[in-house]
Amino acid sequence: MPRYAIEVENVSKTFRIPHENRNTIKEHFLHPLKRTSYEANNALRDVSFTVEPGEFFGIIGPNGSGKSTLLKIIAGIYPPGSGTVRRHGLLSPFLELGVGFNPELTARDNVRINGTLLGLTRKELDKRFDDVIAFAELERFVDQKLKNFSSGMQLRLAYSIAIQVEFDILLLDEVLAVGDQSFQEKCAATFTRLHAEGKTIVFVSHDLHGVRSFCNRALLIRNGVAEALGPADEVVDHYLGPTHDAASPPVAAAGER
Amino acid sequence: MAATETFRRPFLERLAHHARVVHVTAAAEFKLKYSGSALGYVWSVVKPLGLFGMLYVVFGRFMRLGNFPHYPLYLLLGIVLWTFFADASTLMMYSLVGRGNLLSKLAFPRLIVPLSVSTTSAITLCVNLVAVAFFIAANRVVPRVEWLLLIPLLLELFVVTLGVGLFLGPLFVRLRDVSQVWDLVLQLMFYASPIIYPVGFLPPWWKPIAFISPFVQIIQDARAVVLPHTPVGTAASIYGTDWGYAIPLFTGFAITFLGYLFFRREAPYIVERL
Repeated sequence: MPRYAIEVENVSKTFRIPHENRNTIKEHFLHPLKRTSYEANNALRDVSFTVEPGEFFGIIGPNGSGKSTLLKIIAGIYPPGSGTVRRHGLLSPFLELGVGFNPELTARDNVRINGTLLGLTRKELDKRFDDVIAFAELERFVDQKLKNFSSGMQLRLAYSIAIQVEFDILLLDEVLAVGDQSFQEKCAATFTRLHAEGKTIVFVSHDLHGVRSFCNRALLIRNGVAEALGPADEVVDHYLGPTHDAASPPVAAAGER
Repeated sequence: MAATETFRRPFLERLAHHARVVHVTAAAEFKLKYSGSALGYVWSVVKPLGLFGMLYVVFGRFMRLGNFPHYPLYLLLGIVLWTFFADASTLMMYSLVGRGNLLSKLAFPRLIVPLSVSTTSAITLCVNLVAVAFFIAANRVVPRVEWLLLIPLLLELFVVTLGVGLFLGPLFVRLRDVSQVWDLVLQLMFYASPIIYPVGFLPPWWKPIAFISPFVQIIQDARAVVLPHTPVGTAASIYGTDWGYAIPLFTGFAITFLGYLFFRREAPYIVERL
């Protein structure tokens, strides 16, 4: 067994955001002298951490701090600008409320597509299809187009697919955001089960109470910088507490490992 | 720049996985294309047949372009093959932007997107070819063993069209007006190629230039194979030697290879540019 499930080493990511969006040829060729000015958005700056196999790892931070960018780099959707990410194990991502549904297709077709993309064979898909639908409690809506689903229903379906495929590492971005009480309880139950099964879970959330109760360790990101890394309770306290209390930092700085 | 290193399944397992994904997404693509339309798949046959009808009346009857045996079949075959190229390339152009939602959530080889889209168009082409087969039977053209040559020709068409799509998809992500330009280019290619008229109508200086295009070569070869009694100019007859085939084949190979390299270079950045 590898020592780490995920290794993130000095990862930085900069998005170049043009001040004026130049998306047409005219803009490119009619104004060749006018250089587009870019604003460099340092989404992540030199972030390093590791997640151990079987660990329930939380990532917290304010909106726009780089949490989702980090998760997308781990998932392999964005290439890192610099640095390296290593994953050891099969990944099941749940990013930004969903797994990429097509609104014009039925729930059935969407489950087939996403299940297949996540590595299920036809047989496995047939076997697990009912479980996916049952867990999401969408039996009555299987053959309806996704565009007619509420965001809560889509979220339930997406989460249901994400946990029904084969994986070692589960990436969860804001899974508790729009679910109702009963779904949140259901999620909590599966978290406990998956954790007990030894799955590695990376959990991005604004639900600090959830982070406290589920996560072993957590990482706090602010303005693209890893500000604190350590036991979940302490990192959450640090996030909530007086941030200028420089005298006694409650947790070791992220760089020190 | 460093890439994300990932755990990988064994090669064959991965290949099987990608084949399954292309299959499932191509099937969904086919469904999507006709979702909300009453006639559904019927349109995939009706459209090229309709185009054929119009062009036949205008160019075959009014302007008398085709004073040779089996002009209707000659025209139909050309239109069906052309329609595949035009449809598939256009769909591939929009495919990455259209699937942005999925691309931004799952890391899978981006090549799968244009591949599944062009597979969908290939299914439509096969359906259309069945319709062509009925016309052929109605015209009492006798089947020949040589018709098997259509298989490599159709493969060539598929591969080169895919190559064009590999350019168009990422280009459209960068520059949205590629779609306007491509519409025009398609029209231009349609009229500059011997699709509605025989090669003989082309000015002598243009003929060797027209046959640089692998699409002209494919369409002409398909016609020559199916209609042996119709005089059809092919790459061999235009360049005066069988080696003439090297020219369109080379172009086709170059398009596909460069398209692949371009796509591979662009693929990691598609999501952040959407």
